[in-house]
Amino acid sequence: MIQPQTYLNVADNSGARKLMCIRIIGASNRRYAHIGDVIVAVIKEAIPNTPLERSEVIRAVIVRTCKELKRKNGTIIRYDDNAAVVIDQEGNPKGTRVFGAIPRELRQLNFTKIVSLAPEVL
Amino acid sequence: MFSALRSRYYSLPSLLKSPPFPDQSWKLALSASLPSFSSSASGDARDISEILSVPEVEKILSDVKADNVIVIPTENHSCWADVTIIATGRSDWHLKNIAQALVYKAKQKQKGAKHLMLPSVQGYDTKWIVIDYGKFVVHALDEKARVYFNLESLWTGEPSSPNDNSDKDLQNAFVKVRPINNSKKKKKPVQVSS
Repeated sequence: MIQPQTYLNVADNSGARKLMCIRIIGASNRRYAHIGDVIVAVIKEAIPNTPLERSEVIRAVIVRTCKELKRKNGTIIRYDDNAAVVIDQEGNPKGTRVFGAIPRELRQLNFTKIVSLAPEVL
Repeated sequence: MFSALRSRYYSLPSLLKSPPFPDQSWKLALSASLPSFSSSASGDARDISEILSVPEVEKILSDVKADNVIVIPTENHSCWADVTIIATGRSDWHLKNIAQALVYKAKQKQKGAKHLMLPSVQGYDTKWIVIDYGKFVVHALDEKARVYFNLESLWTGEPSSPNDNSDKDLQNAFVKVRPINNSKKKKKPVQVSS
């Protein structure tokens, strides 16, 4: 359950460290974003000397949420942190590697690129 | 524990069809039925990766003159794709043509069938097009994008080189560059000489 003002970790090597959600893309007045949703975010913290800078507005895909993700077979997946991967307008990831475990639902949501960069798919 | 979970997960493909994405539900069922495939090899007609095999895809890629085609078996690496195929295109048009050729061949092969099974194509008009057949995935990349993302090193199990690079980047990022204090250095030799 990501809403505007939520802080997220960054799960890739794009150079950003912390994001703050400012808008959820989808319907107007949408309240919460879940895994696989695209958000507009501000970079609150960035590694120096990288292409991304602080206070830059970017798009990101949510890959991990503390709010549990339920599958149809009854499995529940719940992560320790809220994390997102920085993407550009076309949907290509900005970084070249994704860190941590990533749910396979992202593939169904047409983010195969992110899944193919991830080390572990749950 | 995970394997037990997974087997349960795969044994219920009918339950997996998710209502919010009706057009994609077949793919979920497809990915769910993958392991049963490899073990029992029972024919499920609703599988796009049965329509086109890996050698056929390689032939299509050579027909459309995709450069530098690499086939990487990734069964051990990932549970979501058995084979990863990477190809380079010369231009945006070429990349688009590669994707279209792969879709067209899949269409041609099942002429007259009631249900057309097409691979999902992601990222048309970008430098990186992914054609997802479920069992295997074809990546068509621009030359620059291929160098940038370096998918081969990720999938061929040579984590040393990219890791080193990222480590270097990280180290560079964390090292604080301080201006060299020249005033003291200049003073020292002066003191020694005096």
